[in-house]
Amino acid sequence: MSEGKERIIEALASAVLNMEEDEAASLASEYIAGGHDAYDAIERGLSAGMAEAGRLFEEEEYFIPELLMCADAMNAALDILKPHLVKKESASQATVVLGVVEGDTHDIGKNLVKIMLETAGYRVIDLGRDIAPKDFVRAAEENGASAIAISTLMTTTMGGMEEVVRLLEEQALHDDFPVIVGGGPISPGFARKIGADAYASNAAEAVRVVDNLVNRGTAERIAV
Amino acid sequence: MTEWNPKERLIRVLEKEEVDRPPVICPGGMMNAAIVEVMERSGCTLPEAHSDAEKMANLALAVAEYTGFENLGIPFCLTAEAEVLGSEVTLGNLSCEPKITKEIFGRCSDVETRDIKPLLGEGRIPAIVGAARILADRFPETPVIGNLTGPISTAASLVDPMNFFKDMRRDKESAHRVLEYVSDFLIAFAKAQVAAGATLISIADPTATGEILGPKMFAEYAVPYLNRLIDGIHETGAPVILHICGRLSSVDAQLPGMHSEAISTDALVNLKKLKRDYPTLTTMGNVSTYLLEFQPPEQAARSARSLVDDGTDIIAPACGLSTSTKLASIQAMTGAVRERTQEVYSMVL
Repeated sequence: MSEGKERIIEALASAVLNMEEDEAASLASEYIAGGHDAYDAIERGLSAGMAEAGRLFEEEEYFIPELLMCADAMNAALDILKPHLVKKESASQATVVLGVVEGDTHDIGKNLVKIMLETAGYRVIDLGRDIAPKDFVRAAEENGASAIAISTLMTTTMGGMEEVVRLLEEQALHDDFPVIVGGGPISPGFARKIGADAYASNAAEAVRVVDNLVNRGTAERIAV
Repeated sequence: MTEWNPKERLIRVLEKEEVDRPPVICPGGMMNAAIVEVMERSGCTLPEAHSDAEKMANLALAVAEYTGFENLGIPFCLTAEAEVLGSEVTLGNLSCEPKITKEIFGRCSDVETRDIKPLLGEGRIPAIVGAARILADRFPETPVIGNLTGPISTAASLVDPMNFFKDMRRDKESAHRVLEYVSDFLIAFAKAQVAAGATLISIADPTATGEILGPKMFAEYAVPYLNRLIDGIHETGAPVILHICGRLSSVDAQLPGMHSEAISTDALVNLKKLKRDYPTLTTMGNVSTYLLEFQPPEQAARSARSLVDDGTDIIAPACGLSTSTKLASIQAMTGAVRERTQEVYSMVL
């Protein structure tokens, strides 16, 4: 039986990577019919396929249309697997508040970051696009977030990012909610200048950077 | 020493004729210089100027007068096209540009095409065309640049962008159908601007980048529809500038195949290298908008000077300007381009 399980898990990873939505869904059904643990298929099948898609994205083999299609294949399988998931890790799941700054209605990059963070096991509070600085702070407090991730594609709205950091400083909340910024016009230099804690140049990198931020935050809190 | 007026100079550059120095312009549209400082000083303000021909013309004039840019550019947004085609738009305010609040269609297959001719009488199209006419009549020596949002960006403002990107792979037939429709509408809109007196057309297609689409999709979708649009505009005799956002590395080999007279690029692009790699290109750019907003004016002047020295054909900002850009920095940039030539000449003499 376990041979069949491993075969399906591998096939799920390739279906995600190859953007085969129907194939991913039928594999997920076959997997559940076999009575296997849904968590393994998500972790080692879907996530692995999506991580590989992220790698190809960073290497400029895949671009946004491809990554979105991979995510659709992943979601098709996820919809089938999720109801069979035995809840076990939700207590330790870190939360990230994510949104596009006020004035900007571009959310391509933000949506990719959401997909990649969720795939990596984060709970993502997606505020959407055109979000006021104070709403980032409020959402982080309400959800006990481990980090705030802000995106913009426009140079005209970069100031909104700085405002989020300023509000956090003003309310002495910056230590609780590290800020990661990204998007077309953003550079590591700009991130430093506005007092953000981290910068990521793409959605795949964002996961690694958030991993670092969240772990570092925990370590620091423990040290204190 | 021959002196050309700003219109002659820009046209000559676009026709690859010799000039005394590069023009320094800011085309308008996505890349407009209607900054808060200019609006407050002149009293010509947004959002009113988005939808009234006279006010739009006055703001375009104020921008040129205060900044030193050697053109008149209209309109001041990227949304007029999608609005006419049915999407919901908010016009924003003094410091915040208009944006799409809701794309009218969910998928490419949902798009219902309409007769193009009547569309030209709707939304803000008459105001934009009217402003072109006012400016062309009043300022025959200054180039009036009519701006267009490119086909991919317009299509992704008409159809939910996430679905649009996916349809480019999963429903190519519908994606092509939408792009044909949008391109034909844009050609008609551009022709109306040229007929009203616009000297040339500048196209910005911020969604059609190598970074978003990758080289294959860029070749399949961006190049053919941009060229179809440019060819349509060329039927009027007007030249075309094409602005491409973002890094070009994945698509730069496709640039010589673009039919536009000039290619304008983002700040990330090394124009000196681009020119060396593709000597036939007429290049435009690319003073960093970040620099114009946050650095001292002298930095903007230095950047403009080095662009002139590198052989950039037209000096312009690299991207859409923040409305809180400093006027002094823009003035330093435009002033530096004008002075640079005189210095070069005095060295020769």
